[in-house]
Amino acid sequence: MKKPLIEFKDFSFRYKSQTEATLHDINLTIYQHEKVLLLGPSGSGKSTLAHCINGLIPHSFEGEVKGSCKIAGVETIDASIFALSKHVGTVLQDSDAQFVGLSVGEDIAFALENQQMNRNDMVKRVFASASLVGMQDFLSHVPYQLSGGQKQKVSMAGVINEDVSILLFDEPLAALDPAMGKTAIELIDDLYKQLGKTVVIIEHRLEDVLHRPVDRILLMDEGRIVADMTPEQLLTSNLLIQYGIREPLYVSALKHAGCELSIEDSPASIYQLDLSRHQKKLLDFSSTFISSQSTSSQDIVLTVEDVSFAYDKELVLKDVSFTLRKGERVAVVGKNGAGKSTMAKLLCGVIRPNTGRILVEQEDYLHLTIKQLGERFGYVMQNPNQMIVKEMIFDEVALALRLRGYHEEEILAKVIEVLQICGLHAMRNWPISALSYGQKKRVTIASILALSPKVLILDEPTAGQDYRHYTEMLSFIEQLQKQLNLTVIFITHDMHLAIEYTDRAIVFADGELIADDQVFKVLSNDDVIARANLKQTSLYTLATRLQLKPEEFIEHFIQVERGKIHESE
Amino acid sequence: MNQNKFLIQVTLQDTFLHRLNGETKVRLFVVGLVAVIMSFDLRILVPILLASSLGVLFSKPNWKSIRIVFLIVVGVNLLNLFLFYLANPSLGEYWCGENTIIHQFSTRYYVSVETLWYLLVRFIKMVTSFMVSLWFIITITPSQFAAGLAAHRVPYKVATIVSLGFRYIPDIARDYENIKLSMQMRGVELDPKKASISKRLKQSLLILIPLIITSFDRVSTIANGMDLRGFGRGKRRSYYVEQDPTVWDKRVRFITNVIFILSIVYIVGSMIWPAPTNMWCPL
Repeated sequence: MKKPLIEFKDFSFRYKSQTEATLHDINLTIYQHEKVLLLGPSGSGKSTLAHCINGLIPHSFEGEVKGSCKIAGVETIDASIFALSKHVGTVLQDSDAQFVGLSVGEDIAFALENQQMNRNDMVKRVFASASLVGMQDFLSHVPYQLSGGQKQKVSMAGVINEDVSILLFDEPLAALDPAMGKTAIELIDDLYKQLGKTVVIIEHRLEDVLHRPVDRILLMDEGRIVADMTPEQLLTSNLLIQYGIREPLYVSALKHAGCELSIEDSPASIYQLDLSRHQKKLLDFSSTFISSQSTSSQDIVLTVEDVSFAYDKELVLKDVSFTLRKGERVAVVGKNGAGKSTMAKLLCGVIRPNTGRILVEQEDYLHLTIKQLGERFGYVMQNPNQMIVKEMIFDEVALALRLRGYHEEEILAKVIEVLQICGLHAMRNWPISALSYGQKKRVTIASILALSPKVLILDEPTAGQDYRHYTEMLSFIEQLQKQLNLTVIFITHDMHLAIEYTDRAIVFADGELIADDQVFKVLSNDDVIARANLKQTSLYTLATRLQLKPEEFIEHFIQVERGKIHESE
Repeated sequence: MNQNKFLIQVTLQDTFLHRLNGETKVRLFVVGLVAVIMSFDLRILVPILLASSLGVLFSKPNWKSIRIVFLIVVGVNLLNLFLFYLANPSLGEYWCGENTIIHQFSTRYYVSVETLWYLLVRFIKMVTSFMVSLWFIITITPSQFAAGLAAHRVPYKVATIVSLGFRYIPDIARDYENIKLSMQMRGVELDPKKASISKRLKQSLLILIPLIITSFDRVSTIANGMDLRGFGRGKRRSYYVEQDPTVWDKRVRFITNVIFILSIVYIVGSMIWPAPTNMWCPL
């Protein structure tokens, strides 16, 4: 008989600050040495459930608890958070916030320091844990020298050296680029196998997690567990679409081709998937493909010519050239530190090229100030809280105009226009604090559009959002783009976004522009994928397995998907 | 990344002082500083000045950043001495009991040997306390400092605040840069040629509000992360960075203790047998 480690019985929880309960009637048992995925859209309660497992609820977040929650046989309400931390090791979503040490070694040692372990034992333990995650050569590195993926590895090492029985990963993929995300999932699986821990992963990116097998998936929605089944059962059901979770791309492709998946096809992995029954339909599907020529306007909005830039003699951008046309949607991709954010800063004018030129509508931008560039380029930051300064929506959107000394009448007219375009007009007198994350994001976009920029630069516009909010946000941007004929630059790690919502990808690696092409072509180029830390999509694998040309197969898929998106509008 | 660009070190080099452990360094620093503060006597100040200057010299610091700080400290002190003199030109008489006038500007303002001597001692005292702080700052990491404080029974939560501060300063600086950029694009004018100081100060608030709000969000996440890893569990904690004391640590601690006892003897001695003048004047 397997030993139950996590047991919820008729469990409910309500945060002190809220009137409604966040978790309802949770009944759940997770056994020793199970690997479980907790899946659900934002606001479904999955993070709250995680807080219940690691003891932050009820010990750090106050609220009303009903029913029972036992970890390793002990009611969490009776145990201290320290006692619980001996059983549960949590890797937080924000690996920067979890990294409290000033060096890798110190951070891994943090929990051991709190146990007052003597230093000689501690040094050995830290080295052993660091070796398990492959960070043993980085012990004296400081956090600023590490990538997001490396910081996450340090967090993992920091929790495994405590000899916990449960490893809890809170959205481990949220801040990672595609290749790092893949490595993270592999590492979690290796730790699971080598150390014999129980693993709970909280995520909404199903396909990426399924890169390595999981035993069971718990699907959550509105504070309830709505499904508790194997990945195969889930993928062959309609639950994913019903609850707004993105299906794996290959599953969508099979559905587009009219195939009906069954559990016997082992659909949980693109490598194990049995295609024999579906081969014919898939081949028929791909034979209907007609390549479409992209038609973009000829008006050039932005020209970047042989631009190089160095910080303290260290070259961060090398001879970069590209042009953007009016109404184009472009994804700027590449790993962290490859030059993406430097490029954005150059466009915004905080830094200027050492050599080369940037032309904005045929005009050299060197004599334009940041403020003047702000009327041509609108830069929307990833975190809306970093942009919002006013209490009321109207004032926030009016800020840029007021700072430029426009008359109140002009401001009123412009702000009302922008609010109408952004669907915020009805809320114009609301306080911003009453808005959801996605709505705040809209407000920040509206506040930028008040200046009528030609180009909108969006830094990770969908970070941390589930599929439903992601689709909403991107349809919103697409509609703006069409209505205002904007040129949109997406700075992103998200390949799904690039595939579905952009015409072109500009790929950076090590300060060089290594590809500037349609997205499906970029994603079929092994060399570019490897250098830019991207990842082959499962469509590529599917096409290769069917001995089709991946490039055409992916393009076809995009055509069908876009057709569907437009149908649904 | 060049860690030596700043005065404060995050990773240590390999020199004699760097190799000492946190407890030794903190003790030596505190005793040195106490000796400097309690004394107004070149016979004590000069040896400490020489010793700490040697400490700085052998720690191979980044001279460029030190030079700037050093110039600021000397400049501010010279100004301070000048104001002291303006306020009371007969300082030397009070401290040394005599008045050997070299030059008379007016009935109130004159230059005496004793006043010059007093100002010199005061200047050296300031420079010495700067040098004592300097060798300490450039040879210790914030974590070692935390460990050293904890070893001297300072509550570790206080010590941790110091090292956490250093950990997150660069993150906050990065947020600040980003917020500043987005606000500048929206029209906040930070160019002194284009906006008055009062306008710029008022608009800087627009950068600070989101910075403060996002930093508070971060603080609560960090606090949760620390709770989950058992911070605050016991009355004490051990430190990964705090090596066991070596022979040299023991020797340096012995010397530190001797200096400490001598300082006590000096202070107590000068209370029981006060010197004929308020300070040591070999003139």
